[in-house]
Amino acid sequence: MSYYFTILSPTDTPIFNIAFGTSKGGGDGIARFRFPDTAQYMNQFIIHSSLDILEEAQWTNGGMYLKHIDTYPPASAYISAFLTPSGARFLLLHQPPQLPSSGSSSALGASSLLGSSGSTTRASSSSVAANPTSPQTEEAVRQFMSEVYESFVKTAMSPFYKQGMEIRSPVFRSKITAAGKKWL
Amino acid sequence: MAAPPRHVSMLSISNSNAGTPQSASSDKPQTPQPPSTPQQASGLRVPSNRKTIYDRHLNRSRNAELSRASFAYLFAEMVTYAQRRVTGIQDLEKRLNEQGYPLGLRLLDLLFYRSTSTSSSALSSSSTSSSPPNRPLRILPLLHLIHGPLWRLLFQRSADALEHSVSPDTPNEYMITDNDPLVNTYISVPREMNMLNCAAYIAGVIEGVCDGCGFEAKVSAHNQPTEMWPSRTVFLLRFGDSVMEREKVLERAGIK
Amino acid sequence: MTSPGDGTPVKPPPSFSPGVARNASKSRYPDESEATASLDAELADAHTGSSPTSPLPTATAELPIRSSSPQSRSGRSSTPQLARSSIGSPFDGRSDGSEDIRSLIIRAFSPTVAIYASEDTDALVRNKGFKGGFWDLVRPFGETIPGKVVIRDSIGSSRAWEDYGVRFVNIKGLGAANAARDSPLAQMEEVLEKQLDSGEDTLGGPISGKDVLGIPATTPLSKLFLRQLLSSTPATPHETFGHPVASVIAISSRNTAPLETLRQLYAESSTGEKRLPDWIQQDYLRYYVLIHDEERDDIAESTKLYDQMKRHFGLHCHLLRLRSSQCVVTDDDSIQVPPCEWLSPREHLSGVGEAETLVDLGTDGTPYLFDSDATAIKTFIRELMVQSVIPFMENRVAVWNDQVASRRRGISGRLAAVSRRWPFGSSSRSGIGSSGGNSGNYDTTQNFYAPESPEATLRKMADFAFMLRDWKLAASTYDMIRSDFGNDKAWKYHAGAHEMCAVSMLLNPLAMSAKIKLESVDQMFETACYSYLTRCSDAPHALRSLTLAVELLKSRGGSATETAARWAMRVMDFGLVESIGQILFMERVAACYASKTPVTGAKWGARRRKAGMWSILAADQWLKAGKPSLASACLEEAERLYADVLEADGAFPMPEMQTFVDNLRHAVKVEYLEARGFDARDESPIEDPIGTEEISEKLDKRSHRRSLIGLPAQLDAGNLKLSPGPGTLEEAPNDDFERA
Repeated sequence: MSYYFTILSPTDTPIFNIAFGTSKGGGDGIARFRFPDTAQYMNQFIIHSSLDILEEAQWTNGGMYLKHIDTYPPASAYISAFLTPSGARFLLLHQPPQLPSSGSSSALGASSLLGSSGSTTRASSSSVAANPTSPQTEEAVRQFMSEVYESFVKTAMSPFYKQGMEIRSPVFRSKITAAGKKWL
Repeated sequence: MAAPPRHVSMLSISNSNAGTPQSASSDKPQTPQPPSTPQQASGLRVPSNRKTIYDRHLNRSRNAELSRASFAYLFAEMVTYAQRRVTGIQDLEKRLNEQGYPLGLRLLDLLFYRSTSTSSSALSSSSTSSSPPNRPLRILPLLHLIHGPLWRLLFQRSADALEHSVSPDTPNEYMITDNDPLVNTYISVPREMNMLNCAAYIAGVIEGVCDGCGFEAKVSAHNQPTEMWPSRTVFLLRFGDSVMEREKVLERAGIK
Repeated sequence: MTSPGDGTPVKPPPSFSPGVARNASKSRYPDESEATASLDAELADAHTGSSPTSPLPTATAELPIRSSSPQSRSGRSSTPQLARSSIGSPFDGRSDGSEDIRSLIIRAFSPTVAIYASEDTDALVRNKGFKGGFWDLVRPFGETIPGKVVIRDSIGSSRAWEDYGVRFVNIKGLGAANAARDSPLAQMEEVLEKQLDSGEDTLGGPISGKDVLGIPATTPLSKLFLRQLLSSTPATPHETFGHPVASVIAISSRNTAPLETLRQLYAESSTGEKRLPDWIQQDYLRYYVLIHDEERDDIAESTKLYDQMKRHFGLHCHLLRLRSSQCVVTDDDSIQVPPCEWLSPREHLSGVGEAETLVDLGTDGTPYLFDSDATAIKTFIRELMVQSVIPFMENRVAVWNDQVASRRRGISGRLAAVSRRWPFGSSSRSGIGSSGGNSGNYDTTQNFYAPESPEATLRKMADFAFMLRDWKLAASTYDMIRSDFGNDKAWKYHAGAHEMCAVSMLLNPLAMSAKIKLESVDQMFETACYSYLTRCSDAPHALRSLTLAVELLKSRGGSATETAARWAMRVMDFGLVESIGQILFMERVAACYASKTPVTGAKWGARRRKAGMWSILAADQWLKAGKPSLASACLEEAERLYADVLEADGAFPMPEMQTFVDNLRHAVKVEYLEARGFDARDESPIEDPIGTEEISEKLDKRSHRRSLIGLPAQLDAGNLKLSPGPGTLEEAPNDDFERA
């Protein structure tokens, strides 16, 4: 599973983003998206397009964690969203690894790497990585989002942070990375 | 300037001075030197104890209180600072309002964080007790949020009244009344400025909360003294057209 | 930050915009379309003038006249390429366009009438310049029947249709057609490619392909695709749309033994060598036509013969008076034969459709016809349909509904259906027709039901109802039989019934308000697709059902558009279409999303960002396919779509997106200009991609805080009765106070 996480300001400006891969089931935490490296803009396109759905879900669901809101079927990209009360949007794009049968050479490499860790891989991958819409995944993403929210509130509390400003703190980044490692 | 609070992300500092509940609402402008500023990416200065703001707990200070004297002093400084550059009362109120706005945005996030992270919620008496609170989608829940939890977070008590405009021409106007606003406790307004209400600062906070939740609104503070409450203040909230339109749509959709 | 002033990356400059080319080509158009329009008008006039004298002596008296006279025909031109040559946005298929698509789909399922003409007839017609004989001559005129056609549905209410049509097929090709058929999907792709290339070649290159040749915009291209798709499927056992409802047996006045020839032709077509395959029901309507040669033969003789024909063969006869000499452009009363709208991909490739693909109407090779001939043919077709074929179909539907469907619907039928599913109750199985058991009427070796079996009859009844546009009856009938086919493991029938059940539900304008219905429609398409693709490996039919799903769901509007987009993505995912088809489907996805309108009064509910993204992706693909002009059209469309959701300057909030779009715009511009013969390489590239500095500058904007802007002036305390105060409205001095 590969992840692309973005925080958008209330005016759609990205204020933070990070790409990472799963660390569960022997994952090495490196993102391997299905798009070629030259097409990483696709992640942003998909996230941006999911704002259409988010804007709708925002006013029908009062929760902060809006769960899985959108899918981009051609790349099996799933979008989960979390909305802070002050209007910042956390969007997580998750993409299961490509199946070996149809995979390109790089994907094959990744999957053989996964396969080498044996049966444990399969057992744990069924919890989060394999099924992006399962309740376990929803719960894992929710935990991840909550941790991000805590760090985000701490950032927002700093008087030198203004709403909509890019978050450049390396500490913040490491917090997010840790949360990703822990939950996803 | 007063000594900075122990850390910025906390709202209250314990207080030995007054027995009455106290506010932390002034901690934003009062802190020229927070202990850690990790946002300065290039020259990141990690505090000597190696603890950044991210390592501190947001709930540690939730039941602590802030010195009323220091608050009064700081607020007085803010008003003086604002007054130095203004052209009139309106301008002064606008400035105070602008100072309150960012605080409103922050309080919103903090409020929800604190009520999700612990079960004994600060929001509890509003409606739900244990489940995480919902973002307000309609005007009424938003007003209850301001009237109850927000006021309690700031002043440790609810506001005194919540009213809807009776005039059919202004269905978008709501009023929140505070009989004795804390910010005005130590302020005596000169006669020639008797229109001024320094609670414009709180109006700014309210506006920040409304705007953060996606409710475009203009909020102003007005003096409405009574016999019993000479500094009674009414906060007038006027929601924008887009909000009112959305209200209709959401009502039709049956969303509360 | 990009200011609105230097808008190069945002809007292509006029010199680059294809609008130039478009204008140019537009100016070429008016004359032509006017010319054709006036031709058309003349034609209509002539029609009016000559119809009283047209040869309809008496035969029609007994039959009810079911329609208004031909001259009441609407403005709808019988030359479809006129409508197609209108220049429009690729995505204007929202209001009128979706009606258009619906009409296209409805007309695709027109009744089929087989043509079987004697040698002398074909010889006469070939003389007139129609190489394919009589079939070739009448075929184009059948696509739109002039005037309103009134059809009664099963509950007796009538409805008039302006766009009714009939598909004439040559009986000689009917049986053989599905023998040798190499992948129609590949052929379609080839046709599309050809169309695109011809678009650029014919005018010597530079002008963008979409401005010429009946592909004025993207929708026409996908319309062409749709039309191709719907006419590519040959007659098959599992559905009866391609099966003849009637056959026209034609002889000419040159024939020396007319009645014998007619009998012989009849015999050949029902028992002889021209007999249709076994899976086609044989009791279709026979219609006898005598073609009178106006130039060589005596009308009195022909009338006498015609009367004889009526005596022998009944009322389904017609005397068609044609001139036998060839008409050329320079003749006074020449009119152009309308092009065929429904040409299969193979015909397109073999050049039959050349006349249609060439928009240049003056091109040689287009056949011409005398005005009187055209009028006579139209009258003939109208009479054939209105007085014979449609009543025949209505009658069949009523009879089958009464005899077969109601029995199936009744208690015993339901019992039988249940007992077939649970094979223990063999005693109660006698309820329905000749059904002998679980796989009763399904011939598993040849994979079809005998045409007389109740299953095949019900399917035919449903198809008839569908072609008569009684979608309610059609849907309920398909619904009734779809599970039977599954029980018999007749998978193609199973798929077909599910497909058409969903399609007729979507076409029925009254039904379907609830969301549940939409879900069941979705489920039916899913089943149809699975049966077609996985169980039968029938990609063309799978593609047809999914394409119908996309277009019809899209025309439904609302949340159905998203389902439509999902189906379009499925088509791409299944690999049912090749490269150009893939791009077309990308555009369809964009169009589906673009057609979703926001909730009234609210800002949400639209799918502009999604539509914009798909347009951009399509533009990228067009560019890779070497069609910069089409790419540029998609880019423009994307700009229009994004305009609502982006900041006023049209800049994307995300830097990598912005870079990609900027590069794409530049590449499209370069290739576009190169295609027109300019060297654009030396042009300075688009402004530097937006740097991080600019981005963070943007971040400082306080657009979020709408509420503060202009607050003090408007919210003058004086307006509030609470505390009137003197307002001072001077400009606020700049302040370095913290602002959020």
